[in-house]
Amino acid sequence: MKQRHLVDGPLTTLLISELLTLGNEDTGAGALSLFIGRVRDDEQEGRKVTAIEYSAYPEMAEKETDVIIDIVRSAFNDVRNIIIVHSTGMVKAGEASLFIMITAGHRDQATRACRHALEMVKDRLPVWKKEHFSDSAEKWK
Amino acid sequence: MIKVLYFGIAQEIAGKTGEEFGVESTTGLRRQIYEKYPRMKTVVFRLALNGTMLTTDTSLKDNDIIALLPPFAGG
Repeated sequence: MKQRHLVDGPLTTLLISELLTLGNEDTGAGALSLFIGRVRDDEQEGRKVTAIEYSAYPEMAEKETDVIIDIVRSAFNDVRNIIIVHSTGMVKAGEASLFIMITAGHRDQATRACRHALEMVKDRLPVWKKEHFSDSAEKWK
Repeated sequence: MIKVLYFGIAQEIAGKTGEEFGVESTTGLRRQIYEKYPRMKTVVFRLALNGTMLTTDTSLKDNDIIALLPPFAGG
């Protein structure tokens, strides 16, 4: 299965910069809204989260991401391009694990559609995370 | 036989990524899973049939793939 929305490991600066150029030729897109989710070094019981290990049901995650894109597209008629990419595997604190980019003709729908897509990713994507702590402990979140 | 796939904490409880069960419905499957892995009762999980989320109990046929999905935690 070709993975279009899942990437193994962190979303690197190089990958993010490449994703940012997608759709540059669409000069009618006057607005670009971007969300990048990063692993936070939460502190729990005196120990810090050093990394999150993401796992997914790849076939379903790819399909659900396409569904999310279709829903956003039908809800916001000014939206032109939608890119959603999520990490699997180990992502260290400070590294990026989720990329959502939406272009639209104008700013209002670009920003609202991006937020809408983000909430649906949280709600619908079959992805799980296991926190890794500074004392080597692990916990499913 | 149907194939069951485990994800997230369910994979840790089962100690494997998947296995086969001889059941004819999701109700029967849940019963067998709870008997085999009592700790699974502590996980609120949903089921997907062949990649589509189930909202009600349903009958199953040979070669169906059921995924056992703990609460999602993407992002």
